[in-house]
Formats: sequence, C-alpha cells, structure tokens
Amino acid sequence: MGNAIAKNAEFVQRQVLATARIQEKYCEGRELTVDAVAEPILWARSVTDAFELVQRLRADDVLKLDYLTDITAYDNVDGKDGPKRFVVIYQIFSTTTHVRLRIKLGVDLQEEPMSWTSLWDGANWLEREVFDMFGIKFKGHPNLRRILMDERFTGHPLRKEYPLKQREQFPDNVPLHLGAHPVPSNT
Amino acid sequence: MGKDDINHLEISAEKKNLSDFYNPNVLINIGPAHPAMHGTLRVMCRLNGETIEDAACEIGYLHRAIEKLGEDKTYHQWIVYTDRLNYCSALNNNIAYCMTVENLMGISVTERCMWVRMMLMELSRIIDHIICVAINALDMGAMTVFWLMYHWREEAYTMIESLCGMRLTTTATRVGGMAYDLPDDFIPRMKKFVKEFPSCLTEVHGLLTGNRIWIDRTKGVGKLSREEALKFSITGPCLRASGVDLDLRRDRPYYAYNEVKFDVAIGTHGDVFDRYLVRMEEMRQSVRIIEQCIDRLPGGSIWVDDPRVRIPDKIDVYTKMEVLIHHFKIFMEGINVPPGEVYNAVEGPNGELGFYIVSRGGPKAWRMRVKSPSFMLFQSFEHSVVGDKIPDAIAALGSINIIAGELDR
Repeated sequence: MGNAIAKNAEFVQRQVLATARIQEKYCEGRELTVDAVAEPILWARSVTDAFELVQRLRADDVLKLDYLTDITAYDNVDGKDGPKRFVVIYQIFSTTTHVRLRIKLGVDLQEEPMSWTSLWDGANWLEREVFDMFGIKFKGHPNLRRILMDERFTGHPLRKEYPLKQREQFPDNVPLHLGAHPVPSNT
Repeated sequence: MGKDDINHLEISAEKKNLSDFYNPNVLINIGPAHPAMHGTLRVMCRLNGETIEDAACEIGYLHRAIEKLGEDKTYHQWIVYTDRLNYCSALNNNIAYCMTVENLMGISVTERCMWVRMMLMELSRIIDHIICVAINALDMGAMTVFWLMYHWREEAYTMIESLCGMRLTTTATRVGGMAYDLPDDFIPRMKKFVKEFPSCLTEVHGLLTGNRIWIDRTKGVGKLSREEALKFSITGPCLRASGVDLDLRRDRPYYAYNEVKFDVAIGTHGDVFDRYLVRMEEMRQSVRIIEQCIDRLPGGSIWVDDPRVRIPDKIDVYTKMEVLIHHFKIFMEGINVPPGEVYNAVEGPNGELGFYIVSRGGPKAWRMRVKSPSFMLFQSFEHSVVGDKIPDAIAALGSINIIAGELDR
C-alpha cells in the first residue's frame, strides 16, 4: 500500500469497519476479498444475485452505498478468476461515509446480467460501453447500442482475441438518430 | 413537370403564411466538427422552434483505443497516453496514473515528490478551470475574460515547460518519482504566480459575476438538481455546483491533502452560473494549496529508493555497466508489477479521475480502465439540455467542460 492512503489512518479505519459489516451481513457464501489497497471486493454468485445484492446494499443505512462510480469488465480468458469468460465490475461508493465497494460478477458469453439503469441513470452509458467493448448484453437496458465504436462495427475490441491493429473503415457517418426515441418523419 | 404544374406551385407558395412553416419536428445536427462543440462532439436534436425537445449524443469520434493500448504497452510506455486523456490538465492524469501503479506495487513516494506532485496537480487544476471559464465566456461573446485569463494560462504553461520541456503533453511523472526535479527558477516563478494570479480572478469577478448579460445567459441554464446529479454519477465541480458536498481531496485524502488547509466550494442551483462560481472559488483554493506546498516543500530526493522502479541517473548509465544493464531492463522489459488489482481515483479538475488496473504479473497490465469524469458529464448533458434553447445548450456544454480526449479515450 503506497503512502497515498497509509497516512490517513482515520479513513483506513472507516474502510475496515465497512468491510467488516459487509463480511457480517452480505457474505452468505459469497467470496469477499480485498485489493492492493484493502478495498473490499464482493463476488456475486449469479447474474440475478448481483442485482438483488446491490438493492440490499443500497438500502443499508450504515454503509449508505448510494452512488455508482463505474461499471466495467475484463476478459477472464485465462481462467484465473473463476470459470466464467468475463468478469463485470461494479464500483459503488457512498457520498456520506466515502467508502468504496467493488462487486464482481462472472459472466459467460451467453449470459445476460441485469441492467442497473433502473437503479442509477448513469449506468446507461457505462453498460453500453461494456456491451460495445466486450459484447456482454444487459437484460432490460433501454438502449443497448454501441457507444464508442461505429454502429456497423463488428467484433468487440477489448476481448483478448481481438487483434490490436485491426481496423474497419466506413464511408459515411452514423445517420442522425435520437437515441432510443424514433426519428420523426420530416414531412 | 408541365407548365401548369409550375404555375400551380407558385400560386400555392403565395398562399402560405407563417404558421404553415410551424414544424415541431425540425431535426438539427450539431457537430462533430462545429467550433462551439469543444472537440469532436456530436449532438443530434429535435427542435420545436428554438427549444430542444429531444437530444442524443453520438460519441467516439476521438476514440483511440487507449484502454486496449494499455494492455499492450508496458506501464512506463503508457504514461504518454495519459497525457492524451484530458489534454488540458495532463499533469493531473500523469500523477493519477503513476499513483495507481505505485499503489499496486506498494511503493511510497518520497516526501518531496509528494509535495511537488500536489503542487503540480493544483497548478493543472487552475489551468483547466481557466480554460473552462474563459472558453465558456468566449462562447457567449465575452472576449475580455478570455484575454485576461489566458495570460495566466500561458504563464503556467511556461512554468510547466521549464519543468519537463513540454507544454500540453507533459509526461512529467515516472512510476516512483518524476522525470525531472523542479528547475531552480521554478519556485520563485510559482511564488510570483500565486501572488499575482488572484488579482486576475478579482478582475474576472468584476467583469462577470454582477454582469446583467452574463447572469441572464447563465442563471437557470443547464440545470441539474442534486438528485439528478447523483443519479447520473457526475463528479467534480458540476456535482458540487448542484449542492453535493463531495471532494475526494478532503473526503478520501491522498498524499498530504489532509495536512493542507482549503475549503470546498458548494453551489446550490446546479446551473451554469453556479458552476462558474464554484470553479472561480476552486482556483482561489488551489492557489492557497500551492502556497502551502511552497512553504512546506522539503528537500531530498525526488525518487523513491526502490530498485524495481528507480530509473538510474544518466551519468551512471554512461559510466557503469551494471547501471546500464538496469536502465536497459527497465526500458526494454518494463517494470515487474505483482499480480493484483487496484482502483485509485483523484479529484481531477473535471471530477473523479480513476484508474482501475488488473495485473496478472509482468510488465503489462491485463486490464487498464480509465474512469473519466467527462463520460458521465456528457451523459447527463443529453438529459439536461432538453427544454433549453440552442444557445443555452452551448452555454451548458461549455460549463461542464467536456474534453473529447477523455470522453472517448
């Protein structure tokens, strides 16, 4: 642990207490680990479990995890983090106690984790990016389209098998659209 | 088309009156190469008159696969890519990234390095806020503010140039230290900067804060309520302008931010005017932090004494064979980072800038994730512009300070 955190003993204490509470109330057979700076990582058991878990965590009046920091994923093709192909990472944070929790969820190619857009509107673009980069589909997402790559792009660039220097060119722009809403016929 | 048809058209054109032109479904495409869009941003709108009724953002025009490159380059090679995230405050990205790798390796930087980095982070915050406030005012036609503030941005860039030889793409940090220690004239220049720069802020306050035109253009524009701001996970000055008291420098202090005194500016309405005020106050607070950094700047080495990451001095590389081999290994093979993962975030000028690194061991990351503040801000923009007029949308876009390099990565 670098000096970025070690100097602030009071904060480390808060994080330790939060980890203890998660261990006590939310483990229930789920694996709880810590990362290089002692932030807790909780492994959800299944695609439905992650969604139920976060709803309970959000309602917890001691942890007050009310803020979604990030949703991302990584390719687990080498199988070091369990048998599933991808690991989806949810970073949640508390705006009052300032502790973080990382929820990890193993996802196979055909599995569809629940979308968190009903909990936080900010999940919308983040899940679109995960879909774009890894091809993980989120169940119940209102507008699951590619976000950084072109709509016509094939393949998912952050999968390990995607070559670094592969490129695809398109002769024209993405036509005008209004997201999930239909474009009115302009007559 | 026969002659009669043309006559018929002319007659019907004469009969048209103004209400016939009413069309609630006018589609307009702004960007991606429009000068008011601050980079390659594209917003597609449905208008009713001049009111935006529906908007969608299309992003990715500046996507350079930085995250994918992070899995292919060594930890050192990737530092240059962090410059290209938020290129208005590259120092901040460099430091945030190196801090993450150091946390992953369990390295504590030296006291001097820590204070120097804090000082540089605050300097880059000032530059970034200058750009945001000045360009926002320029978009609304207030040119004087731009001239006044850019003088000081130029001064700050000259200081950064003397530090690392670059102005925008700094690459000033290395894992475990800095590329260069501060040059001799850096501290005197910085002292002059913190002494004289606040007068510029006073001048800009005099020009804008009580200005009728500025108030009319900014108050109640691009509003984000407290609840919306939290729902959309926005961070930084825009979140604070919406009335959420959250600053990672104070709440999750890194380096020595718990030892310096500064106040966190909070707004109430979450509109363009409050964001402007929050940024102006943050610049003052950054000046305060820099003053304290200058006072407390310790001497000693800027490099951590850790053979895993310490880049040898050039004079030793040229004269000692073992050191040459060590130098070669660091740059050709890269530093060996143990397996593990870490998420580290700093309070960047635009908000929470986080790096999430998954390491499987070795010199390259398995996953390099950049959690950029602009991404969340632009998502909220899509919703907050609905109901505003087009010129208000430009004002709102300037106030959230989207940097396309960070948005698209």
